[in-house]
Amino acid sequence: METGQRDWFRGQPSLGLPGYSWSHPSSWYRQDLAADGRPPGSDVESVQSELLDPSGTSVGVLNADDAVLVSLMPSPYRAAALARAHNDWIRERWLERDPRLRGAIVCPAQHPEEAAREIRRVGEDPRFVQVLLCGGSERPYGEPRYLPIFEAAAELGLPVAIHSGGEGMGIAAPPGGAGAVTFYIEWHTLGSACSTMAHLVSLLVHGTFERLPALKVLLIEGGIAWLPGILWRLDTNWRALRADTPWLERKPSEVAREHVRFSTQPLEHTDGHDELLWEMLEAAGAPDVLCFASDYPHWDFDDPAFMLKRLPEAWRERVLHENAAALYGERLGLVAA
Amino acid sequence: MSTWHDVGSLADLERDGHVVARVEGREVGVVAVGGELRGVRNRCPHHGGPLCLGTVDQRLTGRPGGYDVTDELVLRCPWHGWEFDPTTGTCLDEPNLRVAVYSAKAVDGRVLVDL
Repeated sequence: METGQRDWFRGQPSLGLPGYSWSHPSSWYRQDLAADGRPPGSDVESVQSELLDPSGTSVGVLNADDAVLVSLMPSPYRAAALARAHNDWIRERWLERDPRLRGAIVCPAQHPEEAAREIRRVGEDPRFVQVLLCGGSERPYGEPRYLPIFEAAAELGLPVAIHSGGEGMGIAAPPGGAGAVTFYIEWHTLGSACSTMAHLVSLLVHGTFERLPALKVLLIEGGIAWLPGILWRLDTNWRALRADTPWLERKPSEVAREHVRFSTQPLEHTDGHDELLWEMLEAAGAPDVLCFASDYPHWDFDDPAFMLKRLPEAWRERVLHENAAALYGERLGLVAA
Repeated sequence: MSTWHDVGSLADLERDGHVVARVEGREVGVVAVGGELRGVRNRCPHHGGPLCLGTVDQRLTGRPGGYDVTDELVLRCPWHGWEFDPTTGTCLDEPNLRVAVYSAKAVDGRVLVDL
């Protein structure tokens, strides 16, 4: 962002990012993190001392929280300017300061041509390893209007990550599919899971992966216990309703296994039935479709050490390392085992 | 037989709401609950979070649509917000989970816990 433009934005009473209508009863963030009045995880040193160092993480991908909400601003022009500023800020203030960090490209999804331009601009830097979209959206991302975003990502070999959040905010559709929800507990239960399901199904039925065979999509923080159910349901409907989307020549679940990956966080608490969860997820392609994510520094984050112990032993190396290495390729700086 | 261990200063506890120390290989904390001190193992049985760094707060209850603030004080984990009875160690919303709790007292400005 040019200096004059930056100063103009700084002089505004607010950036205009949409906010939550729902209130968390205690905090959006882990309450054991010191913050000096700023949100936890606001600087490189905090991320190093609170996450990367103690967990022995070799590479961490930074996924913007508030910044990704630019896609839900009514003004696509303002959104594009803020996305550019954010990506430059990530490069200058974060990626330059720790070689373990990688970036995710924020772009204005409501203005797909401008988003594609930003992806091509920032994607030249190999430290940016994925495009980042917001779970909240005007329409599901398989819609043809969004195709320029996915084309740009595929052209650069970048996965597109869709991170839950923002459902019902700004210009986004309401969470849950039945109208505006009342409580944060409803939003957190339904909003993230339902938008993730909707984007998954939309991308599959529009034939996005048939159009772009190199494209990979990572679905972050939408839960995963529902995955076998929605894929079984989709496959069943595909057999019966093929004429509705006749371009789908393969079972949608097979295409999902090849092209779609899921973050582990938030791995559902199963009340002592983890064995059932592992068995269900294996039917949907686990462990090859799962990548570890922490959600640091949010209140519902998954501790890497805890997750290491909870996952089946045979899954650990793939979920904590190999799957991400294969997904991101050379940009991650790791070699898939 | 009681074995009292020094886990920090009363001034620190009054300032921060908790003190934490390693005792016999375990992290143990003391939190102020109302006017009393409670010893609690500093490891949440849910995900292993530092439970003693959480907040002591009044538990809410109520009929649908109501928010009744009770006198019952709970210890809320700073990670995922699960609430524990600081006297019994029982997780109030998942009674199968329990954290170890200990007697605690202040003597001459020091905080002691009985393991």
